[in-house]
Amino acid sequence: MVEITIRKRQREDAAFTQRKFFKKTARGKVIKVVRERYLRDDVSCGIEKCRECASTLESHLPFSGAVDHKLFPNGHFVLPDTNVFLAQMDLMESSFFRSPIILLQTVLEEVRHRSLPLYNRLKALMKLDEKRTWMFYNEFRLKHNFIHNRETAVVREVGESPNDRNDRAIRVGTAWYNTHISLTRPPIRGRPVPVLPTIVLLTDDVGNRLKAEKEKIPCSSVQQYYLSTGALTAGIKAGQLYQGHFNANQFNFLEGSVTVEAYSKPVLLIGRENMNRAVQGDIVTIEVFNEQEWKAPTDEVVDQESTLKNDDADESDEEGERIVIEEKAPRPEGLSRPISEKQPTGRVVGIIKRNWRAYVCHIDSTSLNSSTTTSLSQQTVFATPVSRLLPRIRMRTRQAPALLGQKILVTIDKWDITSRYPEGHFVRALGKVESKEAEQESLLLEFDVPYRPFGKAILDCLPAEGEQWVVPPKGAHIPAWRDREDLRPLNICSIDPPGCEDIDDALHARRLPNGNIEAGVHIADVSHFVLPDNPMDAEAAARGTTVYLVDKRIDMLPALLGTNLCSLRPFVERLAFSVIWELTPDAKIKKTRFTKSVIASKCAFTYEEAQIRKDDLNRQDDLTDSIRLLNTLAQKLKAGRMAAGALNLASPEVKIHLDSAESSDPIDVEQKELRETNSLVEEFMLLANISVAEKIQEAFPQTAVLRRHMPPPKANFERLQDILQKRRGIPLDVSSSGALAASLDKCIDPNEPAFNTLVRIMATRCMLSAEYFCSGSVPKDAFGHYGLASPIYTHFTSPIRRYADVLVHRQLAAAISYGTLHASLHSKTHVEHTLDVVNKRHRMAQMAGRASVEFYVGLALKARGERSATLRTGKVTEEAFVIRMFRNGINVFVSKLGIEGLVTFKRETRFDANNYTFVIPGSGQGGEDVVIAVFDKVTVSIEVEKDKNTQRGKVKMTLFKPIVDSI
Amino acid sequence: MSHSHFEGLAMDRLTRHISTGSKSTSWRWPSLHQFRAVTLQTGVVPVANGSALLNLGRSSDESIGGTEILASAKLEVEDVDIGGDSSSGVEGGRIVGEKQSSPAAYSHLSAAALDDLQHDYSTILNDVLSHASLRPPNLGIIPGRKAWLLALDLIVLSDVGNIYDALFMAARAVLWDTRVPKTRAVEYRPNREGVKGSTDMDLDPESQSGLDTRRSKAPAADFELEDYWDDGPALGGRDLWPVSITLNLFPGVHFLDATTQEEAATPLRLILVYSFPTKSRAALHGMHLLGPGDIDLAQIESLVKEGEKYALDIYTGLNTKLKDEELRRTDKARLKFSAAR
Repeated sequence: MVEITIRKRQREDAAFTQRKFFKKTARGKVIKVVRERYLRDDVSCGIEKCRECASTLESHLPFSGAVDHKLFPNGHFVLPDTNVFLAQMDLMESSFFRSPIILLQTVLEEVRHRSLPLYNRLKALMKLDEKRTWMFYNEFRLKHNFIHNRETAVVREVGESPNDRNDRAIRVGTAWYNTHISLTRPPIRGRPVPVLPTIVLLTDDVGNRLKAEKEKIPCSSVQQYYLSTGALTAGIKAGQLYQGHFNANQFNFLEGSVTVEAYSKPVLLIGRENMNRAVQGDIVTIEVFNEQEWKAPTDEVVDQESTLKNDDADESDEEGERIVIEEKAPRPEGLSRPISEKQPTGRVVGIIKRNWRAYVCHIDSTSLNSSTTTSLSQQTVFATPVSRLLPRIRMRTRQAPALLGQKILVTIDKWDITSRYPEGHFVRALGKVESKEAEQESLLLEFDVPYRPFGKAILDCLPAEGEQWVVPPKGAHIPAWRDREDLRPLNICSIDPPGCEDIDDALHARRLPNGNIEAGVHIADVSHFVLPDNPMDAEAAARGTTVYLVDKRIDMLPALLGTNLCSLRPFVERLAFSVIWELTPDAKIKKTRFTKSVIASKCAFTYEEAQIRKDDLNRQDDLTDSIRLLNTLAQKLKAGRMAAGALNLASPEVKIHLDSAESSDPIDVEQKELRETNSLVEEFMLLANISVAEKIQEAFPQTAVLRRHMPPPKANFERLQDILQKRRGIPLDVSSSGALAASLDKCIDPNEPAFNTLVRIMATRCMLSAEYFCSGSVPKDAFGHYGLASPIYTHFTSPIRRYADVLVHRQLAAAISYGTLHASLHSKTHVEHTLDVVNKRHRMAQMAGRASVEFYVGLALKARGERSATLRTGKVTEEAFVIRMFRNGINVFVSKLGIEGLVTFKRETRFDANNYTFVIPGSGQGGEDVVIAVFDKVTVSIEVEKDKNTQRGKVKMTLFKPIVDSI
Repeated sequence: MSHSHFEGLAMDRLTRHISTGSKSTSWRWPSLHQFRAVTLQTGVVPVANGSALLNLGRSSDESIGGTEILASAKLEVEDVDIGGDSSSGVEGGRIVGEKQSSPAAYSHLSAAALDDLQHDYSTILNDVLSHASLRPPNLGIIPGRKAWLLALDLIVLSDVGNIYDALFMAARAVLWDTRVPKTRAVEYRPNREGVKGSTDMDLDPESQSGLDTRRSKAPAADFELEDYWDDGPALGGRDLWPVSITLNLFPGVHFLDATTQEEAATPLRLILVYSFPTKSRAALHGMHLLGPGDIDLAQIESLVKEGEKYALDIYTGLNTKLKDEELRRTDKARLKFSAAR
């Protein structure tokens, strides 16, 4: 019988069999952790053909190490210290670093303790085929009947710090290896003396290096600039530091701001030191200076390219401070500014999270040393990001000449304290600058729009019938008809912009016998096709919204659904989700009901067609009546909304005329025209959204998907109020949305009809953006929609192109007991998370759309400029309004093109910041002073010029009237 | 066994004492003022901040028996709430004692009686150890914000008499053994001149006295562990932790270290708790009279004097053992380790 013995470890051995340490948890508790350590004598050294350890696993390290280094002709192995991995991970990862690496357990654990990302990189490095790495469990090796005089397990001495103990363990490990090699390869008589490779301790630590008796390769030492995480958390907890997103200033690359809750205005960060290597979008920790050190934002345009064009990519490190001082010097008038304009000012003391991604850039041609296309030498060049919010990125590449004139993708790797620029590397080329494909892709990448085609798993979720899918014939047991109302006989029509393929809404109205009017909004029943928790749903949730570019649409849902099965096309039966009201002739709601339905649209109008049809008094059919009925109701609804204090805001919307579908060269830009019918559709959509919002909030008070628009902080309007008061003597009351609407109505310049629109645009920019939210996560009094002056709002009407609407459809279906609500929509955290993504995508989609329009406006202007050049009609000029002033330039808005531009002055000017005026002395025709003020109408000549360095197409405006500003 | 039998046992020891003088002839029947063998081991619970296993009365050739107590001290962080209720932390830290008895040690008692007994023991221990005069100086973490709570757990594994003396000895051993992790207050100090991060972080120059309540909330908001490997410095006031001596009183005579039977036969017991801040001076921390008998004040006075002498003996003996234990666990272990390699 086998004798079983339990070999209990002696308590007396605890000093070296147990490892104890304290751990502080996130909640501030202190835990004592005790780890058992099992010592053994068969930990392999990992070197090939080792006499002692050969019997173990396959060996990883070559017998004589790396023999290509001239300092170690006998071959060497590298045994890196922890700080090497912490500071020089890039070096270790480099494929040029070919020495076999011995990785001590002590080092690995220390790396894990210090930095998890680096630990993961180290783990990945260990698995690389091209690297020869051996992990040596030095802490476990202890022989009781020893032959070597040293073993590698180390017990902490009295008073030794963990760091010293680890350093000692690493030194002991190195020494052990060297002894191990010499002992296992003893000289044998009659044979040549064996060549012994060296184990080299690689360390960054001077102390450790001095203590190590063995060879060492010194590396550069590491500097720390940011505060330690411990101090940061303490600071935030004590309320002395703040955390927020870093926003760069697009007009001045040396200025940024961080919005924190503690201050009503964003905290200003001025100068490179205070911005402390933060990049747009990073989450940073900032310290706010004392109030007497607060400054006003600069009123100067500082362009990175022009200011720093002499920077040499290779050697811009050393003279870093000089230029910063130069840039800062000319700002004496900052002191005389009124206190009210001063903003909290601070500096970045730590970075919580980098939000680096790949950026679309151009290579700065001047930073190239040799531009011969055949040159393959490694060069350090600057990549200038397309976005003005980003700093130039320095990168080393061999392909620099080939990449000139291309759009390329660059990622930032690091930003050292010694460097003025972040370091990055080239990812891939997107194509020639100004080629449509490259521009389009760069735009999508820049705004993080997912644009890959839908995968198979997603397409598999579509109905098997594909294009042939139709609403099955009505029957009691047909699943598609379950609980659906048959609204096919109704005179339903859709009104959309021309060329609209994804029709997600349709309307109808008819008189009821009791004198009231029945109006219905019918929305594509997307949730019938997009079922929760399948690949298509997940993809739609990730995309969040359809993105509209001028010449391309990036769909949220596969085209089969978006433009066919869900699209409420005319003359075919489609599934819909209907909101049907009974309204009094005064547009007061008597009854609201929601139902899934089947409709057959009778016609798909464009806004223009519908308008003509409505205005054509000869048409007396039911459909036209229906439109007229809807129109009268819409007018009353709108009046009611305005009376409640809704804002009529404006944003510059222009339309690009494309020449033909094939070439898609824009020939001209025009402003979008708004007709009555636009407003008709809008009013009913708002009404539907509000009705649905009330319903789902009532049914699911914790998880209803709603949309809100927070009232803007008063401080946002300060500048506009000041400008209006000083320039036009018009007060702006921002106490409530109603008051604002009323005072905006009074902003009229009889001589300039566009003035009102201009003020509205500027007011819109002072506001916050609307956002989706989960009703359980904010207090009920914060549900309101400021712009619409509605206490509750959601998005229900465009499920084809917005994911939030799909969620709302599901919730509404459950609220009317059509089906059960998927479990995920009962979970507050899930809804919150989904809406966070949708909000972000929504914002990005808007910016991408705008950027696309800008690009085409640029193309159109270029075409126009070329035309006028051939026709010799002179420069392209447009009327523009001054909307903002800087010390050396003005920001103008060209309403006809919907673009903003910067006009910088080359001649001497006097700038009066308090009155928002510029005086250009002696420039008038009679030599008198010319004054330009905010809101003034000027004429600018517009041309598109290619930036010589970056190949970036740039709209350049110069003043044409009242004076021609030229050198 | 009848009551008279117990009395007989006690009387047996007394009569032997009288007949043989103060010298004991047999270990089983020690002299009146002699203790049974005491064994002590510290550091028995690795995860605790301090621990000890004490046995009173087990002879060297036995593997079981004796009054055995497992004691451990655990430190927990708690928030200091000035002016708050008693369940929250106290400025400068506090000690909470908890005595448990394993049911096996008192198998003859019902659960309710066991609870009562535990409560009796806990009260006597807590009264003495939690007293502010004994509060160690290094239980504070951040003045006004955080402090350590020392939870003292004493588990009676078996009881064959003289439980109070054993409890206090174990408590003294465990408090001696307790080490407080080193902490460093972290605060953020706005620093306008330098840009180097290291100067922004500052550590407390010295630990604050727990008795000093004048300080308002410190600027530091949080703390970090200075050295996560070290057990830290010993709990302050090592020399202050008291020992107790139980005098079993018979008219005209008293004896020490009673067994369970002897205790049952003793009409009156006087428990005296002493600490010795300096060798010469003793401080009396507590006095309890247990039992139905009575005693006059003059007698108590002389007993207290006697008790001080015994207590000093125990105190010195315990100190020697504790120092020995500490050495065993550090230097000797290290020596052994280096011998092994």
